[in-house]
Amino acid sequence: MNKAENTGKRLSGGVKGYLLLLIMVLISWGIFKIITPDNFGSPKNMLSYFEASLLAAVGAVGFYFVMVMGMFDFSIGANIMLSAIVGCVFANRFGLGYFGLVIGAILTGAIVGLLNGAFYVKLRIPSMIVTTGLALIYESVANFIAGGVEQTLPSDLRAFGQMPGNLILAVIAFAVAYLLLNYTRIGTYTYAIGSNEFVAKNMGIKVNKYKVLAFIISGAFLGVMAVLTISYGSSMVAVTGMASMSRNFVPTMGCFFGLAFKKYGMPIPAIIIGEFVINIIFFGFIALGAPTAVQDVITGLALLIIVMLTTKVAKGEIVK
Amino acid sequence: MSDIRLEVKKVSKTFGITKALQDVSFNIAKGEIHALIGENGSGKSTLTNSLAGIYHKDRGTFLLDGKEVDPANQVEANNEGISIIVQELGTLDGLTVAENIFLGHEEQFVKFGIKNTAAMNRKANELLKKYGFDKIKAPDMIDDYNFEDRKLVEIVKATYFSPKIVVIDETTTALSREGRDELYKQMKRIREEGNTVIFISHDLPEVLEMSDTITVLRDGVYIDTVKSSEIDEDGLKKLMVGRDVTGAYYRTDYGEEVSSEVVMKVEDVTVPGLISDVNFELHKGEILGFGGLSESGMHEIGKACFGASFDREGRVTLADGTQINDIPTAIAHSIAYTSKDRDNESLVMNQSIRDNICLPSLKELSNKAHMLSDKKLKSFAEEFAKKMSTKMQSVDQFVSNLSGGNKQKVVLARWIGKDSDILLLDSPTRGIDIKVKQDIYRLMDEMRKSGKSIIMISEELTELIGMCDRIIIMKDGRINGELLRSADIDENSLIAKMV
Repeated sequence: MNKAENTGKRLSGGVKGYLLLLIMVLISWGIFKIITPDNFGSPKNMLSYFEASLLAAVGAVGFYFVMVMGMFDFSIGANIMLSAIVGCVFANRFGLGYFGLVIGAILTGAIVGLLNGAFYVKLRIPSMIVTTGLALIYESVANFIAGGVEQTLPSDLRAFGQMPGNLILAVIAFAVAYLLLNYTRIGTYTYAIGSNEFVAKNMGIKVNKYKVLAFIISGAFLGVMAVLTISYGSSMVAVTGMASMSRNFVPTMGCFFGLAFKKYGMPIPAIIIGEFVINIIFFGFIALGAPTAVQDVITGLALLIIVMLTTKVAKGEIVK
Repeated sequence: MSDIRLEVKKVSKTFGITKALQDVSFNIAKGEIHALIGENGSGKSTLTNSLAGIYHKDRGTFLLDGKEVDPANQVEANNEGISIIVQELGTLDGLTVAENIFLGHEEQFVKFGIKNTAAMNRKANELLKKYGFDKIKAPDMIDDYNFEDRKLVEIVKATYFSPKIVVIDETTTALSREGRDELYKQMKRIREEGNTVIFISHDLPEVLEMSDTITVLRDGVYIDTVKSSEIDEDGLKKLMVGRDVTGAYYRTDYGEEVSSEVVMKVEDVTVPGLISDVNFELHKGEILGFGGLSESGMHEIGKACFGASFDREGRVTLADGTQINDIPTAIAHSIAYTSKDRDNESLVMNQSIRDNICLPSLKELSNKAHMLSDKKLKSFAEEFAKKMSTKMQSVDQFVSNLSGGNKQKVVLARWIGKDSDILLLDSPTRGIDIKVKQDIYRLMDEMRKSGKSIIMISEELTELIGMCDRIIIMKDGRINGELLRSADIDENSLIAKMV
């Protein structure tokens, strides 16, 4: 009674994954379209929801490298905020334009990732605790750089906030993530470390190096997300007191989609479509005019149900 | 040119206060199968793990073809020409078969930082075909394959690059008969190519049949190296234990009447995809054996009777009418179960020996106020760990630091301490040395005589024949025959019903 199947299983797995995601898109769209047919869900509306979802999807594909290894990052929001502010300062105050915006944000994100990874590896403290502590520092640094003032991106530097600039940048980011995950050693080692760190180490994999690298990759992608975020919203306020944590939620949820659909061999498409589903639900509530508290409760529940239904843990498998 | 492949010179290794290896020195020749034997905790795996880069020796040297080697990890060892197939699972979930085979050696498929997955899969498929493992496909996720097939992937991974030395550490116990035959074939091939196999096994007939030379370790000390053709099983036992191992190994009684009292009745039990319509009765004071090929479904029998199978259909009923449908009910009704997959299903690895032994007995060990006494737990654990001759520093030691055989002793100590009436033992002597094996058989015989009932699931046909009152043979998830205890039964009578 060999459980092994042939390659056909994998192919059908991929098709099944896409079908599941398509059904989710249709259901989430259908429910709100029925309730509020006039101001929700037109093709134009759907395109704008998709554009909005690209922001978090870019951050989530980077964060996936960290989560697959079994680590976590609570400084996502602080990273986005700091990277956006540094990018804006580079572009605006230093007059570096788009170059400064993109490079400044990505470099800052990568440096934040490097610090997260280095502190985690060197201090040997759980990643959740390390990144929570560091998030407070990143928030303060962002606030210091911004001088307590809202940083606004000039209108002539906002091409990444609309079509086709946002789509081009996002597609480049997705392609890089796909390449790293499937066609480099980094991807293989990421899964190997996530599966069994001890065995991975015995295979000569420099586990700490790749853990730090995962944080750097995640940070750089969050830097790209920062570019899209400030371009889309035009400004960024450097909040403190862990208020940046509210930005953690959406990329993290997208990442859960990636983890849930990993078994179908399609984590990156799952993250992209997953973020789209989250945005459909989010904009559906806005169309309904539901109070924020109700929106949050229903969004949270809907996402838990989606992940629960799609993850379908095998019987006997331990979930932590 | 020297015939010596490996010189082990004064190698020492300690774990805390335990001296795992003490100045071990001996030579291994080219083109031979060199067995390494000894009791559990004698230092066999520590020595080979140090050679293969999994551990780091404290002192001494390994000279491979006259050149010193001291690998920092398995990949460095591979690059030096040394590979290892470990006792437990050595492949990684989440990776494909091809990625597992070439893990740490991807550079041959990487150009400008980009990995050529198609080329990697092609090469892996070629290797799998060459080894005759065509049923395994390179692009498949390794998670889709069972333990046995994953071991075959490990064989490819460890040998495809023609290493000078391949260490096979207690791997045969995890394999079915076909898997073993496949491994033996590969071992002979390696020898024919002029390379060397270091073969670790507790199965002395297997060691004598397969190896050319045998080195014996005891308590981390080198004892002797002998030619397989010049020694017999008793001679090896004496070298391993340090004295004559006398007395009966298995039960010697035949024709004893088994009680007619039924303690467990299994009716129409089906576990989808694993076993179908299984019916049998277990009697008081009976040792009932289950044999078959690894995938015959026999390993599910223990789980099904313990209430641990998923989606089980049918009934498992005790003499008092209690239905066993879940584990707490089974334990509450004095049923014990040891899994074949010791590390994942039987032991809490990052807990102490004490905690592992006391775990199912905490209720009995707590006082009226439901409080636990540290002293009481410790003395309870010590009593049963010692009864099983567990080699340890103290019961506070983590189970993860024990050798494979000693882990198994902890599992058995747990249920002996619980004083269960029905024991479901899946591969109870897997990875256990000769002396403790004898102790376990004796213990099982004593339990049987005291009215306890045992289901013994095993891939070791000789122990089934030697220990059981009745043997049920499983094939394709169904019962395919039953044999009563008799001096006339031999392995062939069982194999005829297995295949």
